[in-house]
Amino acid sequence: MTADSSALPGDVRPGGRRKRRLPTLANRLGILGGVMVASLVFMAIFAPWLAPYDPTERVGLPFQPPSSEHWLGTNDVGQDLLSELIYGSRVSLTVGIVAAVVALILGTTVGVLAGYYPKRLGRILMQSVDVILILPFLPLLIVLAAYLGRSLLNTIIVIGILIWAAPSRIIRSQVLSLRSREYVLASKTMGASDRWAIVRHVLPRTALLATGSFVRAVSTAILIEAALSFLGLGDPLQKSWGSILFWAQARGAFLTPAWKWWVLPPGLMIMLASLGFALIAFAMEERINPRL
Amino acid sequence: MLRRGLGNVNRYLLVFAIAVSLNFFLPRLMPGNPLALIAGVDVGLMTAAERAELIEQVGLDQPLLAQFLDYWKSVLTFDLGYSYRSGRPISEMISERLPWTLLITVGSLMMASVVGIVLGGISAWRRGKKSDLGLLSGMISLQSLPSFWLGMLLISVFAVQLGWFPSFGAETPASPYEGWDRVEDILRHAFLPIVTLTILSIPGAYLTMRYAMLEVLGSDFIRTARSKGASERRVLFGHVARNAIAPVLTFLAIRFAFAFGGSVIIETVFSYPGLGRLIFESVSGRDYPVMQAAFLVFTVAVLVANLFADMMYPIIDPRMRVR
Repeated sequence: MTADSSALPGDVRPGGRRKRRLPTLANRLGILGGVMVASLVFMAIFAPWLAPYDPTERVGLPFQPPSSEHWLGTNDVGQDLLSELIYGSRVSLTVGIVAAVVALILGTTVGVLAGYYPKRLGRILMQSVDVILILPFLPLLIVLAAYLGRSLLNTIIVIGILIWAAPSRIIRSQVLSLRSREYVLASKTMGASDRWAIVRHVLPRTALLATGSFVRAVSTAILIEAALSFLGLGDPLQKSWGSILFWAQARGAFLTPAWKWWVLPPGLMIMLASLGFALIAFAMEERINPRL
Repeated sequence: MLRRGLGNVNRYLLVFAIAVSLNFFLPRLMPGNPLALIAGVDVGLMTAAERAELIEQVGLDQPLLAQFLDYWKSVLTFDLGYSYRSGRPISEMISERLPWTLLITVGSLMMASVVGIVLGGISAWRRGKKSDLGLLSGMISLQSLPSFWLGMLLISVFAVQLGWFPSFGAETPASPYEGWDRVEDILRHAFLPIVTLTILSIPGAYLTMRYAMLEVLGSDFIRTARSKGASERRVLFGHVARNAIAPVLTFLAIRFAFAFGGSVIIETVFSYPGLGRLIFESVSGRDYPVMQAAFLVFTVAVLVANLFADMMYPIIDPRMRVR
């Protein structure tokens, strides 16, 4: 058996072992993240079939511990906690992904413009990025959310307009180095417009970087959505993991044995969702810019 | 160096001006009754005379520009007004809350930086080995930990089940303690919030230290040190760690800003009477003047931390003085 595996030609390169182990770690973590995200997406799509009850219906007595009918017990108004948990994946993923799309569009636009026109426009744009990055994040988030009011759309808007700044900086520095490459200069000497140069040469080469920061933004947005819902600033009509924890906090569930089935699972789900995207982002970033 | 510092001061002034303007314009541009959003009162419950009086008091009958100038004047004279809900001066509410937030953020930041610097150093020194990869994966996972959830779990386990620490507040109510006993009581209350914030701040400090160390490890003077026969110990402490710490310290200033803002969530979970809890209470109670004032105090604290980092940097890293 052992002779078999060692007989494979070209499998073992002398001195190559240590170098090759590093990328495989990033790849493995990336695959793990992919599996986590895929199972959550599956859960979100098939929630009506997976969940034993309608999460908005009162299907049992309030404050029930886990039983064969309610695997994770019931909440303060007698709704099934497992069903709430399964449906919660919809809000988390929707807000996370859509807010990240908003951030991606804003961040890429600002990053590309600031990198391509680094003089006046670029300086003004980067000033505004700096301002957003310095302002105290959570207090600003809360103030905006409080004035805008509680709805799913507003949650997405608030998160989207607050998390685009960091990726735009990364994209800008990439564009800054691209704009003076030979092929960009060559196409410009042949009379190409700025627009053509950006669309044809700059954007395709920032796409990978932008995708990486998009995935990272999803991971961040999921955590922020959970925090907003936990503070009671999310959409009151939506069952999200954060809002389950809001009610657990409001009803003091974490001061009773109920924390094991009411507090523990939603937090694990939030962590799983955020970590899944973070691992994919990590694997992508390693590929673009190895730092391991 | 001086120019660099001044350039940043200009930027901080700009940030402050934007924060003040946000405070002024947000409630006035939002749909709904600006009176309700500015004063934080139920306009529907008031009589017409009361409403007129309040409109005059808030200045909503003035032109927008006059209101804006008035707002600036009150901000610059530290006249934060009073809460229409509780009837108390806002400056008083903030000054009794601020020390608690400083206690838990500064405490946690010091612990997190020690742990993060040590672990990041070990990790970079053993780059690519199992301990490095394990630490790195662990830190990436920690970054996805929801802060409020961590706090709730710590309360469930250490405060409720084991009974080691109190589950809420900053002191025993109507504190019977004095002197050292009171200090101990305060530290016992602050322990779990500090631990929560520390755990949340460690990954950032760790990652910064690890990358900074890796950069230093790859530079020429380390090879020189090794080739002249310096011991590994001397290379590590005398050359690598010393040079890697400067970026970590700047990072800490930024992290302070983050931890300070993060106190909103931690203090809510632990019912800790700090500034973060104040902003949460004012949002849920629709006490908008208090919310606005707390937001400004947060902004100023963050700017001061950044300014402090700008001033520390050339002292820690002499190379910065020349530039």
